[in-house]
Amino acid sequence: MKIFKGVYVALAVVACLGGAPALAGPAQDDRSEVLANWYRMILELVRHTPTQTPPVASRSFAYTAIIAYEATASGAPELQTLAGQLVWLDPLPVREAGVDYADDVVLNAAMARAVDVYFANTGPTGQRAKAALYKQLEGKVGAGVAADVLARSAAYGTAVADHVIAASEDDGGAVIENMGFPMTHTLGGEPQDWVPTNLIRLQQAPLLPAWGTNRPMVLPSGEACPLPPPPAYSEEPGSEFHAQAMEVYETSRALTDEQKRIARFWSDDPMLSPTPPGHWVAILFQIAARDQRPVEAQVDALVRLGIAVSDGFIVNWRDKYRYDLLRPITYIRRVIDPAWEPLLNTPPFPEYPSGHSTQSGAVAQVLTAVFGEGFAFTDSTHVDDGLAPRDFPDFWTAAREAGISRLYGGIHFRAAIDLGLEQGACVGDFVNGLKTWK
Amino acid sequence: MTRGRGLLMICAALAAGPVRAEDPAIATFAEETEAAGFAHSFTGEWEFMVGGGTAVFDCSGDGRPDVFAAGGTAPGQMFRNDSETGGALRLTPVESGLEQEAVSGAYPIDIDGDGVIDVALLRVGPDRLMRGLGECRFEDASAAWGFDGLDLWSTAFAATWEAGQDWPTLAVGTYIDRAQEAFPWGNCTPNHLYRPAGGGGFAAPLPLEPGFCALSILFTDWDRQGTPDLRVSNDREYYKGGQEQLWRIEPGQPPVAFTEADGWQRLRIWGMGIAQEDITFDGFPEFYLTSMADNKLQTLAEVPAEGAPKPRYRDVALKAGVTAHRPYTGDDLRPSTAWHAQFGDVNNDGLSDLFVVKGNVWEMPDFAQADPNNLLLQRADGTFLESGDRAGVASMRQGRGGALADLNMDGWLDMVVINRNEPAQVWRNMGADAGADAGRWVQVALEMPGPNRQAVGAWIEVKLADGLVQQREVTIGGGHVGGVLGWHHFGLGTAETTEVRVRWPDGTVGPWQALAADAFWTLAPGAEPVRRE
Repeated sequence: MKIFKGVYVALAVVACLGGAPALAGPAQDDRSEVLANWYRMILELVRHTPTQTPPVASRSFAYTAIIAYEATASGAPELQTLAGQLVWLDPLPVREAGVDYADDVVLNAAMARAVDVYFANTGPTGQRAKAALYKQLEGKVGAGVAADVLARSAAYGTAVADHVIAASEDDGGAVIENMGFPMTHTLGGEPQDWVPTNLIRLQQAPLLPAWGTNRPMVLPSGEACPLPPPPAYSEEPGSEFHAQAMEVYETSRALTDEQKRIARFWSDDPMLSPTPPGHWVAILFQIAARDQRPVEAQVDALVRLGIAVSDGFIVNWRDKYRYDLLRPITYIRRVIDPAWEPLLNTPPFPEYPSGHSTQSGAVAQVLTAVFGEGFAFTDSTHVDDGLAPRDFPDFWTAAREAGISRLYGGIHFRAAIDLGLEQGACVGDFVNGLKTWK
Repeated sequence: MTRGRGLLMICAALAAGPVRAEDPAIATFAEETEAAGFAHSFTGEWEFMVGGGTAVFDCSGDGRPDVFAAGGTAPGQMFRNDSETGGALRLTPVESGLEQEAVSGAYPIDIDGDGVIDVALLRVGPDRLMRGLGECRFEDASAAWGFDGLDLWSTAFAATWEAGQDWPTLAVGTYIDRAQEAFPWGNCTPNHLYRPAGGGGFAAPLPLEPGFCALSILFTDWDRQGTPDLRVSNDREYYKGGQEQLWRIEPGQPPVAFTEADGWQRLRIWGMGIAQEDITFDGFPEFYLTSMADNKLQTLAEVPAEGAPKPRYRDVALKAGVTAHRPYTGDDLRPSTAWHAQFGDVNNDGLSDLFVVKGNVWEMPDFAQADPNNLLLQRADGTFLESGDRAGVASMRQGRGGALADLNMDGWLDMVVINRNEPAQVWRNMGADAGADAGRWVQVALEMPGPNRQAVGAWIEVKLADGLVQQREVTIGGGHVGGVLGWHHFGLGTAETTEVRVRWPDGTVGPWQALAADAFWTLAPGAEPVRRE
């Protein structure tokens, strides 16, 4: 099954469209198939749409998940809406009483609209793919459905999506220009301040410096989950800062094969992967397929994950630009070894705290609440890219590995990782306060 | 080999910021598309979002480069060059047998060694090898030559003559499995190597796997070891687990991809075009790789005193001023999209300049729609000056392929650009005002006995006025789906004469031969240069 290799192996049991062979067995729940296929598409579009850097992707994952959740909840009596719990989200359109709806048609229409809007700027191949997928799914879920039910369901799904989309437009993250890099930027000028770390012209200014001012999804304010300053900058041997840099340096010079595998596994580079938040979304769908989880449970976990990563990136970015700390490559070359090369490419924005750590901590906190402690899983996200699956005994183990991977990769100091994970847990606690099941 | 002054200057710039030498004279161009009769458009939707190449070569036998333009959903079109020497451009459409549809690009090559240039047509569908019959007529010789064009989306081409072979080895790069409509990503098709079959023609294509959606490939003797390897630039939009590639192509051996253990460094870009030139005068070529937003200029990270270098490159595009990452004129400041790239000395000052064709993929809103082509003039310190707007070539059309070639045989490189879903364009180089004694040039054609008539794989060495030696490899491939075959143009500045020698593909080195400037010369092994009258 060529189209379901790698990260999508697990999805193959619930999703099969396009040029691939038909599903084995009955299509017992078309909503799961609709959801899996649209998220397969979303994960591709995140990878292939240049503006979908990790913060932007986290926002896309959040709103598409909210749409998926609300479209599903509208036909699932056991789920309750997030309107009002998310203070910026007014009550959604309600279904007309006394008439039939096809829930999978509702979901398909909602997801199609969501993907069209949040990936409106994808390239010609993405546009073509979106249209092709909608057409294929429309044919499948619409088969045998009465015309009036079909029309009503599609219109309702679209209305649900439009309602969330309208509410998202003023959150501060809707418009991305110049792929997120300011046309002008003034560097801090102090020794500890971030400076560009590569020779790419576009990245001589840092990514999305105002992202931390976006409206959060569930956090009470943009000042929630604050972090203390990083260790005081010093070039003195023996200082805390110097010691943390030496840890990165010495680790990089003695990396084991396993440490290299870990660094690359969680590298999750934009445009070359589904990004860090997409990595967790991919994990969630692998679990859903493995365990044949009902669609209501899938959207519950999905919306919590989406909100967690989105709010995680907002507070993380707030602190990145609050502290504007230089990257290890800058410090180590300045103070320790001018010829030093880290394993990974250094991302083009300030160091502290680690974005991957914050959002992974948030996800771990949320998914542990959903699935329970000690929930083991296999992560096959990067099989297509030649990276072998990794097994984890629980979500926090995976999150901590994601965090330390940044030290192995030579792009973060330890404080950014440890405190980033703590910040993520704080965000996750707020998400866990959402009530989804009645 | 010793390091040339160019690299030293760039190293200095890297350390201390760019040093601005005297800015070069700007060559000015006049667009003569309509007056020349150059009426053509490369058209098509998704399957022709890439492509649009042009092949520039002499098909009429008069020594003047003619122009073939790929048409996509429209027929390809051959234009005979009827320009008067030094006069206005005149391109006359002629019936050629190349009027085929679904053509994405084309490269000129004398496949059968008969002295008449043939054409490799790259198609969305089976590729075709078109035998030149003379008088700009061609016939499909694919079957006769045992060439299985395969039913793929072909987007790149290169050719070399492997040692001991009477027929060339062809490499064809391919793009996406176009049957994968909803999920095309991760579905790059293999590239293929066509090696000679015993007794003439080609053996069955040998897959070069994995393929990573190549948009430009080039046989290049990058390490100057005498055996070209295959450089492949890939579009990261579609591959998974991919990167730029370099294949070791040893005669009689299966191709082997260079790895990290060989020194190859992983690079992942939206690779769209390759241009090669030794702009540092150290004897090793630099590579310009086009992409979206920033483009790359690669120079070897280290050249050992003895032995071959490793394929480790530093990107010096930023310091050299050739990132060409966004429009330099107009109101649209979104990032650029670059396709064809080619080095050539457009102002005849002795330093190779850089021509880059730009154009949005297809209404991609995050990238510039009004994206002018670049004409970057090299300064003496190895940095470049953008001159496209002042030169008059800052076209905002949706460019794809292109070529620099002296169409009116006046010694100044003219310019062809193929645009997608918009008319192609041609500009006449009106020269550069650098003083009465400046702007000299020489053009050289190589002629070898045997099958490799145009001496593909040779290196031409030209002495410049300041003691530097420009070294250029004769290649077929690179660019974006099109190339130039014929006269090799070198600017000479104020030099009235120069000396030229050739390292022939078999490794023999010819003598330094004095050539008068402002003339066309044919060089052959063991023979005196012959001046074209």
